Amino acid sequence: MQLFIVKRIGQALIALFGVMTLVFFIQRLTGDPTYLLVPENATQADIEAMRRTLGLDQPLLVQYGRFLWDMTHFDLGRSFVQNVKVTTIIASRLPYTLQLAGGALIVALVIGLPVGLILALGRRFAVTRVLMGLVLAAQSMPTFWSGIMMIMVFGVWLGWLPPSGAGSLQHLIMPSIALGLLSMATYARIARSAVLDELSKDYIRSARARGVGTGRLVTHHLLRNSVIPVISVTALEISQLLAGAVIVETVFAWPGLGQLTVEAIVSRDFVVVQGVVLLGAFVTIAVNFAADVLYTVVDPRIRLGGSRP
Amino acid sequence: MTLAATPHHVGSRIAKLYRIAGPFSLILLGLVLIAIFAPLIAPNDPNSQNLMGRLKAPGTEARGTLYLLGSDELGRDLLSRIIYGARVSLSVALLSVVLSGVVGTTLGMAAGYLRGWTETVIMRLVDIFLSIPAILLAIITVAVLGPGFVNVILVLALTRWPRYARVAYGQTLSVAGMPYVRLARAMGASWPRVLLRHILPNIIAAMAVIATLEFGLMVLFEAGLSFLGLGVQPPTPSWGATLSVGRNYVTSAWWIATFPGVCLFLLVLSVNLIGDRLSEYLNPKTR
Amino acid sequence: MTFRITMARAATALTLSLAAAVPALAVDFTVDLVNEPSSLDPHMQWNPDSYYVYRNIFDNLVTRDNDGKIVPQVAESWEQLSDTELQMTIREGITFHDGTPLTAKDVAFSVKRITDPELGSPQLGQFNSITDAVAKDDRTVVLTTASPYPVLLAQLVNLSIVPQHVVEEVGDEAFNEAPVGSGPYKFGSLRRGVEVILDVNPDYWGDKGPFEQVAFKAVPDASTRVANLRAGTADLVVSLDSDQVMQLQSASGVKVLSAPTERIGFMGLNTQRAPLDDPEMRKAVAMAIDREGIVAGILGGGEQVVDQMATPAHFGYIPDVAPIPYDPEAAREIVEAKGEAGQEPMVIKTAPVFDQRIVQALQQMLSEAGFNASIDMVDMATYLGDSRQEDRSKRPILGFGRWSCACQDVDGVIFPLLHSTSSWSRVDDPEIDALLEKARGTLDEDQRMDAYRQIQTRMEDQRYILPLYQAVALYGASDKLEWTPTANESLFLNRMTWSE
Repeated sequence: MQLFIVKRIGQALIALFGVMTLVFFIQRLTGDPTYLLVPENATQADIEAMRRTLGLDQPLLVQYGRFLWDMTHFDLGRSFVQNVKVTTIIASRLPYTLQLAGGALIVALVIGLPVGLILALGRRFAVTRVLMGLVLAAQSMPTFWSGIMMIMVFGVWLGWLPPSGAGSLQHLIMPSIALGLLSMATYARIARSAVLDELSKDYIRSARARGVGTGRLVTHHLLRNSVIPVISVTALEISQLLAGAVIVETVFAWPGLGQLTVEAIVSRDFVVVQGVVLLGAFVTIAVNFAADVLYTVVDPRIRLGGSRP
Repeated sequence: MTLAATPHHVGSRIAKLYRIAGPFSLILLGLVLIAIFAPLIAPNDPNSQNLMGRLKAPGTEARGTLYLLGSDELGRDLLSRIIYGARVSLSVALLSVVLSGVVGTTLGMAAGYLRGWTETVIMRLVDIFLSIPAILLAIITVAVLGPGFVNVILVLALTRWPRYARVAYGQTLSVAGMPYVRLARAMGASWPRVLLRHILPNIIAAMAVIATLEFGLMVLFEAGLSFLGLGVQPPTPSWGATLSVGRNYVTSAWWIATFPGVCLFLLVLSVNLIGDRLSEYLNPKTR
Repeated sequence: MTFRITMARAATALTLSLAAAVPALAVDFTVDLVNEPSSLDPHMQWNPDSYYVYRNIFDNLVTRDNDGKIVPQVAESWEQLSDTELQMTIREGITFHDGTPLTAKDVAFSVKRITDPELGSPQLGQFNSITDAVAKDDRTVVLTTASPYPVLLAQLVNLSIVPQHVVEEVGDEAFNEAPVGSGPYKFGSLRRGVEVILDVNPDYWGDKGPFEQVAFKAVPDASTRVANLRAGTADLVVSLDSDQVMQLQSASGVKVLSAPTERIGFMGLNTQRAPLDDPEMRKAVAMAIDREGIVAGILGGGEQVVDQMATPAHFGYIPDVAPIPYDPEAAREIVEAKGEAGQEPMVIKTAPVFDQRIVQALQQMLSEAGFNASIDMVDMATYLGDSRQEDRSKRPILGFGRWSCACQDVDGVIFPLLHSTSSWSRVDDPEIDALLEKARGTLDEDQRMDAYRQIQTRMEDQRYILPLYQAVALYGASDKLEWTPTANESLFLNRMTWSE
């Protein structure tokens, strides 16, 4: 158990190092932020001066060494564009990302899981097929289209919700739905197959034979045993939601990390990109690890150290 | 377990396929046919502009061209652009699914069967790729290789292969312990042979399910790349690009977004429904 | 209709009950920008989303009135002591938001600061012709330039005055996060990625701002900005194109504000690369482009076709130049006569920020005239990297751009685009270089005009660059807003009025 944890942390550090190195170099393949920073009428000399200020005139390996050195000191640097600490920028965006990810997960879980359950329990009825079709339909539209349609209908024509922005609970509703609908079908599918899995097992059959009611069966046995696949999917979803909300954030002007990532990449603000990627990689690894630990809590039969499913 | 049960004749095979795939496969088939025969069906040149015939409503005629589904922001025939756009959307999705599926499955199987260093390297690589935002990979690919049809496919494959690798890896782990695989190994079969002959046939069904689900996602991703300005090059008609332009005309020229949007929706929905039926069919518990 | 009202009432009730949980800020006026300002320090970034905000917090040395004339602001009057020395008298009674008076010392400090290479200001290039700034007394400052510099005053329109004591006390970084100026609005608060709030400065020396509080929000998607305006959650939105504002024309409570700008849409040609190293091919390109069609067919917002790289708002505009002909048949004949050389591929390099309708129209027109033209769309950083690379002959063969120097002087347009030493230029012509330098090196207006006339003649002969049109800035606004947008695309809140 301890050995496993040490090994996992070791591997995680190597993966983190790999990600950061990769991002450091491939970013610099994409060109130079200087041209975006100087005004249109800047001369070649102004461009050189700006490059020196940013430290981009140094050889690549020197820059890389410096970057590693700063990393070991937990110094992520300062944004080229905004001249503000990367940690400050990320810290200001993180709460919004967490709100949106949380909102989307709630939408996905609250709709997805019951739908999956209904699909499994009522799979002999034609109606459930329609339900699955609806769930799948919800994730068959590009969010940049469904998003603007939602804005027009609920924000402009009906005036029920603020069309965009952040700051209150109402602001969170539309982006959460737009983003949550995408994961909803995944949850429905997972829940359905997990429940079907359990339904075919002997203990459920015998419980049924003993006359245990469906309601009790669902709450006592099925849900508990369907938790594991839900956890693994959630682990994947969380790491995706962090940076994967780019389009939803852009459409709804939601100030999360996804929008920040795109802005930073497009403006070649290397240090900000590095910061966001580091956070993302860290969360991905941590969430996967947490999921592994959670498995053992939910089901003591699982021992850490085995290969992941 | 396998898709193709020994058929009596082609007709019954098609009937069986249809029974598995469901009625929505007809929509998919229709879209595929439209894509293949685009030059024969399209009433007009999809790239021919008419600056005086911009944003004409469906059914209008301008300068001798009948705009059945209306005209776009440069006076091009929307219907023809949608017909040609089917080619782009379908081929980008198909090719990127094939590419990422083949690469991901191969690496995943190798990791699951060979274990040891191969496993560590491949699976950590998977972790690394999963932690880099897809958008970053997309912009970098475009910046380094330049934009275009082929590079859009590369971008999609680059960001999606780890998903296949993960599933293939997990499946291989469980198959590798089976007696017949051990037997083959004991009889001295080389590892590529074991992977190809014994493991692949057992995991291909699971991979096919993933691939159908991914196909719908790839259609949407291609549209998303267009929205971010990283998709196929203008003036190539693609549903995603037309749709993202059409968003600016939701109240002034609704047809520009609506028609490609509906096509895209039908394509993704039909593929998703087929995928869902396929996974149900292949899962013994639900039969 | 009744249904809609009922629903609206229900929604209002719902909104109120929900809003109780989160205290909503009372904001009088909301402006939707594209991105959040990248800096609030006026000596750092120069991009619209930044200067729309910080130019309301700061006063500039001089400014332009709504007619584009340079008029006093911080500087009350000025006189040229010699060809290289400009003496300015500072207005009395201006105070910074912390209560300290603005003096000549602050002006000299501001000039020194922005021209200090250590600061690394992206605007350095606009001001580095100033070699010295000395405060003679509290109200007099003398600026020295290396050589006679006719555009100095036009550049000083964009020089904001910062308080020396605050910058020195808190440092550049803290100043960027909580700027102190002397303008009609004070910095209120910043919610990163969401909005910047400005509060009215009740003690402003000039025209006071009409709104108590103003929020500048970041809304990257143009369709969302339009929706915000229609829903009433924004009062003014920037950066819309002619088709986006079309959605406002049918809506109630909103209107379109437009103003011809000093921005010029043009097609850049790489004269160092085949096939456009051949002047005849360049003429064919010019004849292939239906500029009227672009202006009337696509834009239709009051844009004007221009035949020179200037608008009437520029110094150096020549009133009587010959129109560039549109003759696709003649163009096709030239291209065909060139045979293989005429079929050299020509790639229009572009990025998503440019109007893709125009780019696609240009490509189509060139193709119809027989050119082998295609589009290559990349992201902005890649585009700029390609366009400004050291090796001029590798810069894009064709490109569509919209240029403004925010100085209303032809020098700010054609010097960077045509002078062989410029990082934008795709031209290498000693005659043009000499004329540009001559026009830049004298304060004599007649001599400058003469040089620009000669450049124009040379351009008609060589067609180094294809001017397309004078751009119009389009804003979506609430019906209650009265505001005249200006040619230099500034957004001064204290020049607006609001009627309930």
